[in-house]
Amino acid sequence: MSASGLKTGQPPVKRAGAGTFKLTWQLLLIGIGALVVLLSITRFFTGADDLTSAGAINAAVALAVPIGLAGLGGLWSERAGVVNIGLEGMMILGTWAGAWGSIQFDNPWAGVLAGAIGGLVGGLLHAVATVSFGVDHIISGVAINILGLGITQFLSKVTFAEMAGGGDTQSPPVPKPGLVSVPGIGEPLADLEARHWFLLSDLAGILRGLLTNVSLFTILAIALVPLTFYVLWRTAFGLRLRSCGERPVAAESLGVNVYTYKYAAVVISGALAGLGGAFLSLVAASAYREGQTAGRGFIGLAAMIFGNWRPGGLAGGAMLFGYTDALQLRRGGESVHALLLLVAILIAAVAVYQLVQQQRTQAAVITGAAAVIVFAIFALTDSVPEQFTSVTPHITTLLVLSLAAQRLRMPAADGLPYRKGQAK
Amino acid sequence: MLQNRFGRLAATALAGSMLMGAAACGGGEEPATSASPTGGATSAAPAGGTTKVGLAYDIGGRGDQSFNDAAAAGLDKAKTELGLAETKELEAGSGETEAAKEERLRLLAQGGFNPIIAVGFAYSGPMKKVATEFPEVKFAIVDDEAAAGPNISNLVFAEHEGSFLVGAAAALKSKKNHVGFVGGVEVPLIKKFEAGFVAGAKAVKSDIKVDVKYLTQPPDFAGFNDPAKGKTAAEGMFDAGADVVYHAAGGSGGGVFEAAKAAQGWGIGVDSDQAKTAAEGVRDVILTSMIKKVDVAVFDFLKSASTGAPKAGTTVYDLKAGGVDYSTTGGHVDDIKTQLDEYKQKVISGEISVPKEVS
Repeated sequence: MSASGLKTGQPPVKRAGAGTFKLTWQLLLIGIGALVVLLSITRFFTGADDLTSAGAINAAVALAVPIGLAGLGGLWSERAGVVNIGLEGMMILGTWAGAWGSIQFDNPWAGVLAGAIGGLVGGLLHAVATVSFGVDHIISGVAINILGLGITQFLSKVTFAEMAGGGDTQSPPVPKPGLVSVPGIGEPLADLEARHWFLLSDLAGILRGLLTNVSLFTILAIALVPLTFYVLWRTAFGLRLRSCGERPVAAESLGVNVYTYKYAAVVISGALAGLGGAFLSLVAASAYREGQTAGRGFIGLAAMIFGNWRPGGLAGGAMLFGYTDALQLRRGGESVHALLLLVAILIAAVAVYQLVQQQRTQAAVITGAAAVIVFAIFALTDSVPEQFTSVTPHITTLLVLSLAAQRLRMPAADGLPYRKGQAK
Repeated sequence: MLQNRFGRLAATALAGSMLMGAAACGGGEEPATSASPTGGATSAAPAGGTTKVGLAYDIGGRGDQSFNDAAAAGLDKAKTELGLAETKELEAGSGETEAAKEERLRLLAQGGFNPIIAVGFAYSGPMKKVATEFPEVKFAIVDDEAAAGPNISNLVFAEHEGSFLVGAAAALKSKKNHVGFVGGVEVPLIKKFEAGFVAGAKAVKSDIKVDVKYLTQPPDFAGFNDPAKGKTAAEGMFDAGADVVYHAAGGSGGGVFEAAKAAQGWGIGVDSDQAKTAAEGVRDVILTSMIKKVDVAVFDFLKSASTGAPKAGTTVYDLKAGGVDYSTTGGHVDDIKTQLDEYKQKVISGEISVPKEVS
């Protein structure tokens, strides 16, 4: 199925822009393994047990999912060439619709569906404005953010305010999707974790966090990442959709109905953002609450850019943000302080790499100095002040982004206006 | 190119209607005017019959089951007992500017509403400005002392004293000698809660461990509305060994109670008696609540305003005046009630002076 489709759109102007570096499964596994060892070393020497505790990992996943879903939404839309800054508004629609559906039909999965539909409506509006009418993508997106907030405020006034336990700005508690655990591993892993052995306890903590008390909605959300990859990169539909984001004129000349594909992409984008919103009201909290998205739509967009417009990278970005956020919320001073050591080790490794592999002595000296400074801050303080811990996720993301920015490549026609028949 | 022009026109129209729609809904300014004819007709209160009261809420508004609702309760009581002619309630939108708050107060003042009550410290700057523009209108602001003026009544509470009592309750109930405090946003007002709570816990057990976490830093006020973050922060404390967690985090508190339930620990509510107002599933984990009687303050102010002479300047509703207290709903603190009341008497008599600031 995919082979025949791939033929029709063979040369979609793909530059080898991302460099010669190719991420394989082996490299990925080695990378993750190295990260766990590094975390384990850090935990062992600092005693910040929360770095790899089951609670922190579990919370990290729960905080990463809404960001990841919003990012996936952004990915779908931008791969088809439509910038979607309205993700936040679509998420807000999803929070309300998710809670409402769940309460109205007394079934959390009805809420999940309703949340997707809520976001989808926002996406449809964005598609009508940007694809049919050629409105500037940013303007339409901003309007949807304002509109999403306004509509949900109005809707919660006419729905939740009437219900027992609800109010103008919040819904009554909602029925939640169930939690699942891999049976029989919770107790032994918890025992192992409590012993604080090097590496073994860390692995136990991480596994327990990932495999016990996981919401079914979380599993659904995680499954959407490989699904997105499959649909966009392994099917004819996906190839055509991406061609609309790279060079719509060329796609059109090959008989692709660009408008249809853009519509499909933006509508799916809205539905995914809506799912992210529904996750917030159904799983992360257990009620709709005005303003509960708190900018997560924008962070999702950042996670997508962080992931170089790829599902895997995006999931990594969301997870990094979720993890650091979980650490700072749970035991900020202690855990973030321990992270400083980790950062110092990482920067030192980069310095060694620059010196040995790239023979850039000057750069290596600067990087090495940075490592020493971070280590000095770590060594001279006991904990990190509250004012700094709360921005840890943002700073981490910013740092990684600034290091990776040279390698990023957005879809070539992303954000550009496209009119049917504009090719000369 | 007719089609193109049509497209552009339609786009402009669409964008315009979007923005108008947003303007209509966005500010949450649906005038909730309720000209209560029955109230005016049935009540025989003489002076109140012509009083038009304007009330500006902070984020959350009526229905937040907490702070704003308490103010609404005071207004409702005044409506029936004092027979107000008309009341108008407006509420703040999340993330709005100071100018929007100014405009809200000005709108009420120009609409002939007098007195006007603003709920929440966020109105401090706007109130000061608007009050000078309308010297003949009586203003009141809840939770703020900074906006001073000859026509402004500042209704403030001794939150640290109430927090002291629930801090003592937490320490008395903690089996692991470890309690926690989750604040919504690190602003001076919320730090008062923390200071009182910590002092109360240490008064009972001087070696007790108190974890403190603020969800966001100003000017990001999302920490009052993010149950997901509240839950994560409280989970962290319970995992670290705490068994009682007090929150002063508005709407994020629901997450704290959920974490308490999952960890089989205790949560402590804030502002209103949350064992009555929180989600039904978590009410049984609420040990007690630090009650802040905003309704009493609002009612008292309206009562004095209806007789024409509200007191300008600061009125402190402290433990002595019954402005703050701890709740006993659920009966979870019955066994330590005598000890708590001893502390209460000591604070009232001045034997214990509760710090307002974190040491």
